[in-house]
Amino acid sequence: MNLTVNGVAREVESPPLTPLLHVLREELGITGPKAGCLQGGCGACTVLVDGEPRRACLLPLAYAEGAEITTVEGLGTPERLAPIQQAFIHHYAAQCGFCTSGMLLAAQAYLARGGSDDPEEIQEALAGHVCRCTGYAKIIDAVAAAARGDSFDLTTTAVGKYTTVTTGGRA
Amino acid sequence: MAKHRGRGIAAIEYPTGMNQNGDPSQCWIKVKPDGRIDVFAGTADIGNGSKTIQTQIVAETIGVPYDWVTYDNSNTDSSPLCTGTFASRATFVAGKAAEKAALQVRQRLLEIAGKEMEIDPADLEIVDGEVVAKGAPQKKMSVADVAAAATFTHGELITGTGAQLKPYAAIIDPETGRVDKPPHSAISYAACAAEVEVDDETGEVRVLRLQQCYDVGRAINPTQVEGQIEGGAMMGLGLSVLETCYPYYPDVEHRGGAFGSYLAPSMEEMPQIDTILIENPSTDGPYGAKGIGEMANNPQPPAIAAAVYDAIGVWITELPITPERVLRALEEKAAGRHEPRREGKKVVFDEELSVNTVSSGGIRFEVPA
Amino acid sequence: MKVVGARIPRYDGVAHVTGRTTYVDDVRVPGTLWAKALRSPHHHAGIVRLDTRPAEEMKGVHAVITHKDVPLNVYGHLEALGIPADEPLLAEDDVRYKGQPIALVAAEDEELAAEAVERIEIEFEERPALLDVRKAFDPDAPRIHQWGNWYPHFEGGMDRRQIRKGDIDWAFAHADVIVQGVYRPAAVEHCPLETQVCQVVPEPNGRLTIYSCTQALYFSMGVVAAHLQVPLNRLKFVGGTTGGGFGGKVDTATETMTALLALKSGRPVKWRWTREEEFLCSSTRAPWHMEIADAVTKDGWILGRKMLTLHDAGAYARFSPYGVTKHSFHHTGAYTIPNLHFDGYVVFTNRVPTTAMRGYGVTSVSFAVETHMSRVAAVLGIDPFELRLKNANRIGDTSPNGVVYTDPSTVPTIQAIAEAIGHELPAAYRTMTNEPRSGEWLPEHLVAQLGTPEEH
Repeated sequence: MNLTVNGVAREVESPPLTPLLHVLREELGITGPKAGCLQGGCGACTVLVDGEPRRACLLPLAYAEGAEITTVEGLGTPERLAPIQQAFIHHYAAQCGFCTSGMLLAAQAYLARGGSDDPEEIQEALAGHVCRCTGYAKIIDAVAAAARGDSFDLTTTAVGKYTTVTTGGRA
Repeated sequence: MAKHRGRGIAAIEYPTGMNQNGDPSQCWIKVKPDGRIDVFAGTADIGNGSKTIQTQIVAETIGVPYDWVTYDNSNTDSSPLCTGTFASRATFVAGKAAEKAALQVRQRLLEIAGKEMEIDPADLEIVDGEVVAKGAPQKKMSVADVAAAATFTHGELITGTGAQLKPYAAIIDPETGRVDKPPHSAISYAACAAEVEVDDETGEVRVLRLQQCYDVGRAINPTQVEGQIEGGAMMGLGLSVLETCYPYYPDVEHRGGAFGSYLAPSMEEMPQIDTILIENPSTDGPYGAKGIGEMANNPQPPAIAAAVYDAIGVWITELPITPERVLRALEEKAAGRHEPRREGKKVVFDEELSVNTVSSGGIRFEVPA
Repeated sequence: MKVVGARIPRYDGVAHVTGRTTYVDDVRVPGTLWAKALRSPHHHAGIVRLDTRPAEEMKGVHAVITHKDVPLNVYGHLEALGIPADEPLLAEDDVRYKGQPIALVAAEDEELAAEAVERIEIEFEERPALLDVRKAFDPDAPRIHQWGNWYPHFEGGMDRRQIRKGDIDWAFAHADVIVQGVYRPAAVEHCPLETQVCQVVPEPNGRLTIYSCTQALYFSMGVVAAHLQVPLNRLKFVGGTTGGGFGGKVDTATETMTALLALKSGRPVKWRWTREEEFLCSSTRAPWHMEIADAVTKDGWILGRKMLTLHDAGAYARFSPYGVTKHSFHHTGAYTIPNLHFDGYVVFTNRVPTTAMRGYGVTSVSFAVETHMSRVAAVLGIDPFELRLKNANRIGDTSPNGVVYTDPSTVPTIQAIAEAIGHELPAAYRTMTNEPRSGEWLPEHLVAQLGTPEEH
């Protein structure tokens, strides 16, 4: 069966009902999409199939035949990061990083369809993606910043929206 | 049928490092011939950011730019012991080991620079990758040149090692719990105000806002501190109103085996989270830091429980505060059964949950009157 | 240039956002076998018969292990802290929780390994389960642990952790009001996005390379070395990058068993738990049962606290005695209470063993004592900020076990929150500091507990 992964045409041998995630990770060695639950419940395996975010753990290979697949490896490279990748760095939207590739691809699809920086719309677009580390606040900040078209200084990170720092104690 | 708003507060404290101490962490550092720094430590980064924090500590302590420092925690052949990333110890204990190793490296760089520059090392300092004579900044030598001199002139490998260990505090009197030395290294503090909205028809509790103040000693990286606090807040929210492995505890049935049947907090439950950081430095931590990782999910449950009481007048002290528990408590209240029992000067809540009610005499909680 | 205090991006941030971070599941070793576990379907049962031969005889199955393959099957992870061993790596004569591992299989692929597990023949004799910590002490409770239903090995051979301070009877006799309540936070799952996973590679020189998601490389290496009875230089742990932990990956849940399969098969072996296993079979945060009675005055001084804690350890001790000790050291919360009587028990039940999780031992007690403080304020009709500030620990006050507080921040953190929400405090509370008590903040009943910070 044939599909295009990150711009490269690939021929794969897995049976047609094999989950796309298994094909990507085990047959093609593309490990950016993660096996977080294999139940469709966490979003860590999300990839773009013809531009639409899909849970690769549940999607049979047959449904992806001939499609353009984008994984996190196809979003940008360390030398040429996509704006959403830069936003995640500058806004500290990744901690352990295990949910990050799925989050990024869902966010990329949201941006591609002209999504705004409205937090509620972002929440709706990323609903069902679980992150156990960040509490989501900085993920939403990152997507909003990318939606606004901010440029990102990657030598530092953004100040939290609701943070104040005071020095106390006996000095 | 209506939605009711309420607010509650809580104040907490939390020890940094393992209880009773006795938990070592170690670090070693080597200097490349061009002055670049390699740090080896055994601290796992579980998302908490210890790779970044320890790298910052080493760069600051030696006096070189952050991007001169590489950090390797990848394996136990090259990295020395770290007891682990738990007990809020990765910054506080392991970071201190990194600071100590970096101090040794700094000292040796100054000594070799002193020979090269013919200046007493005590009169030198390292600023932004350069060894500079104090009070005479025109006299300087780059750390790269010092490292090259060490390698090619003096035949020396510049290294530093650091180990942090507070001795184990033994319990010397098990009757009273007395210990032979302080059982903690530093204590962190926090306070929290929670604002909730309770729907008395569905029983749903929505957390609208968490305003939180944490004393972190010193924020080595304020963004990462925020990350711990925001992530902890959501975990605390989960503890308060969503999560349980045993929905009808102590029953072991009805366990959730998937996302959706086990309710981890999702994006739509996110409240506004306001963070106030107080930097009241510790004496033992690197640059005065205290641990922040764990305590970040401790103040929300009691603040939220108090906010629910403020909103609808019922105390729910079994977590999580689910719609079912809210509705049952409101029913009890309507039937006049939610008030505590008053007897003499005693005000007794939750008798139905007590061992005095549930146990058939195996254990009792005796309270003098 | 200041590096400390700067908002530097994550060291591994670029790797995270480009999918280049290598987690254990991303390690690729040719010829790797998959592991699967036979787990107990019962909460409590005797194992009457176990026959692994039908699995061993299957084509593509390369190793099956049971407790007989473990050089030291029963090893306590905190033996160094005086907590003896009670839990077998693989079940021997009985199972004490649903999901307990009994045997493991390594086979060519995941499906075949699962099929081989199904072929293992096993017979159980079901036994009554104990689930409610409050009933564990009852004469008719089923006995579920070789040590009895609660942990008996605290210092001095005591069966509970005690704290005693001051004169508890005086406190209750002099109280105007006694407020009692019960607090029961739930077991929760750590729920990291990365499930428990391990890959072990036997090396030509006889060493094992163990790719591990542990939160504690050296701690876990020590655990594996003890079970295998080998020195540390036979093992190389590779890791340091963990897809979320929150305490659950201190357990060393996979490394030893995967190593045994690799040794027995001579092949690289990988064991990745399913999400369902992670939810149902991995350790959890403990459920706790806490009862508090506070002796208080009408004007809001807490004279004394009596507390009973029953910690639901699940089927084995693991870190629970450590957790209850830590809990006991913090059962006054951020306050100074001069007269204390605390008893804490580690109680065994037939549920998945509980373990460390973010805030271990203290998350529970923070919930209990802080909710109780709010109740005391409501009962007395006192502002909850003022009640807390009045009793807040100060420099020179002493902890439950008599250690002097040198620089507590209870006062400034509470004041900061009052200001943030616009709650106006009376001048005496607004200007309060953490400096040692004096004047109206040093009533007679707090004098005896004072220490000097220099003793710290």
